[in-house]
Amino acid sequence: MGIRFQNVSKTFGDVAVVDDLSLEIEDREFVVLLGPSGCGKTTTLRMLAGLESVTSGDIYIGDERINDVPTQQRDLAMVFQSYALYPHMSIAENIAYPLRVRRLEKNERENRVMRVAKLLEIESLLNRKPRQLSGGERQRVALARAIVREPLAYLMDEPLSNLDARLRVQMRGELKRLQHQLGTTTIYVTHDQAEAMTLASRVAVMKKGRLQQFDTPLNIYNHPANRFVAEFVGSPSMNFIEGKIERGTFVSDSIKIPIDRPDSTGSMGIRPEHVHVSTTPQDGAIPASVYVTELMGNETFVFLSVGPHKIIARAPADFRAEVESKVWLLLETEKVHFFPKTKSTDYTE
Amino acid sequence: MRDRRKGILRTRLLAQAGVLLLALVAALAPVYWMLTISLKTEVDQFAIPPKWFSFTPTLQHYTDAFVTRSFGQYLLTSAIVAVVSTLFALVIGTLAAYALTRFRLPYHLDRKLSLWILSTRMFPAIVTAVPLFLMMRDLRLLNTKASLIVVYTAFNLPFVVWMMRGFFAEVPRDLEEAALVDGDSRLGALFRVVLPLVAPGLAATAVFCLIVSWNEFLFALVLTQTDAAMTLPVGIAGRVTQYEIKWGVMSAAGVVAMMPILIFALAMQRYLVRGLSLGAVKG
Repeated sequence: MGIRFQNVSKTFGDVAVVDDLSLEIEDREFVVLLGPSGCGKTTTLRMLAGLESVTSGDIYIGDERINDVPTQQRDLAMVFQSYALYPHMSIAENIAYPLRVRRLEKNERENRVMRVAKLLEIESLLNRKPRQLSGGERQRVALARAIVREPLAYLMDEPLSNLDARLRVQMRGELKRLQHQLGTTTIYVTHDQAEAMTLASRVAVMKKGRLQQFDTPLNIYNHPANRFVAEFVGSPSMNFIEGKIERGTFVSDSIKIPIDRPDSTGSMGIRPEHVHVSTTPQDGAIPASVYVTELMGNETFVFLSVGPHKIIARAPADFRAEVESKVWLLLETEKVHFFPKTKSTDYTE
Repeated sequence: MRDRRKGILRTRLLAQAGVLLLALVAALAPVYWMLTISLKTEVDQFAIPPKWFSFTPTLQHYTDAFVTRSFGQYLLTSAIVAVVSTLFALVIGTLAAYALTRFRLPYHLDRKLSLWILSTRMFPAIVTAVPLFLMMRDLRLLNTKASLIVVYTAFNLPFVVWMMRGFFAEVPRDLEEAALVDGDSRLGALFRVVLPLVAPGLAATAVFCLIVSWNEFLFALVLTQTDAAMTLPVGIAGRVTQYEIKWGVMSAAGVVAMMPILIFALAMQRYLVRGLSLGAVKG
């Protein structure tokens, strides 16, 4: 089912937690709300679930305005960060809870629980209590409880953040596969840009209650709308150098590169993979010195000093350079971003 | 060296045991005294030196209290009043406490209301005795169980609200929100998810309410004077008359009065400990 936020705001006292948010999520889409803590992404999700009232604006599911529809009638399923499994019920009872509340027949209930348990490979856990389960198992049970009743949409609030790194990557893949299989609209909240990039069909980047950009992961990565988005998405983060453009050339105190933009002041941004490091002098290369190198195994991150600036470059795994040794940088000028300085901020207010 | 440490350890253990024993004797001596009085003939009761252990037991006072006199009736009244008022207080107080912990009211009324509720316990009970007597008289509820049930419910409510508020606050909101999103109503979530989780707390609260109602003396004395409506504590005290004090009958009734609470508290002991320490240990 499609979901639409129209000029939605939420204020607590004088603080606008969500500020004039408009978002249109299509049926069967997997949308990730991405942003640092306090950006209003969880509040947005909770407003959709009906757990938080809407201060102004409208929320639609399909064509129905749901602002005043109570939570239990919205027919959504939510996976909480804490999983929120009912501690006094067995796993089977936990999964069956939404069905029991809907007064489904016992037989049908058991059938459905079994089907979902098989899908998520938790059949052997059905008779246990939540506290006897590991984090990953609880996560699966929470998912099972959400998908057991085929709701209009799934809402997920940082569902993977309590798992260890390896499990998180594994569950991430399974989530994506599951959503593909079920084809149900999913809205997923996270502060982890890697989750956003891998899971989403579209990512909504938020900061301080404002939507910064709503686009596909690739467009967010390649064409960030502002400096905040550019900095938040990508790891290691994009490099920024303050300076100005004068007649087709970006100029800062240590760098001069051609750039096809109108004159203005602001910051030039370039992703680490578009910075190439060479240990021998090159034509048009920028001299720099190695601050430190980090071996990642499959690649090497090179931290460089260019005058007063610190720049990170991605180099091949076999790249070797001593600390403080002199190197030369080639920037892929066609991949350079420029973010003009507007007012005093680098994001949409 | 090691022997000396062992010695210190033993002395400390002995000291601890000694203090505990002293406390135990202080607590149980009156009970023991009452128990023996209830089993002694009137002559033995007043023997000097007191007959601590060696006397010929008799059940005379028990039959006297419960067969000849109306103590059976008092016992029944006490039981009805205590149980019904406890149930009322639990139902009303639990719902109130839930609302006060989970709903935000305008002008911080949720917090203010809680304090008001507590403040009703801050003045001495005797202050309300006369007004309550007048109210009950006008309502024609004097000498009825209903009057005591109403008063005890009101008296226990603040206690239930404050106890249960603490227990509800321990239940993560996520659980209820999950229940709501899963399609359950507020009340459904309360009964299916929240109450089972605070059951130990509920049990502990129930025990305390029951004890308070069972032992209550002041209001029962003011509001009931007839045999039909009198509770056990008032009935017992009534054996102190101008001409004689029926120690034996009073003790026999006292022993019987102690029993239900003792049994109930023992049965609930598991919950009592868990309820009172709920949230102290993360589980």
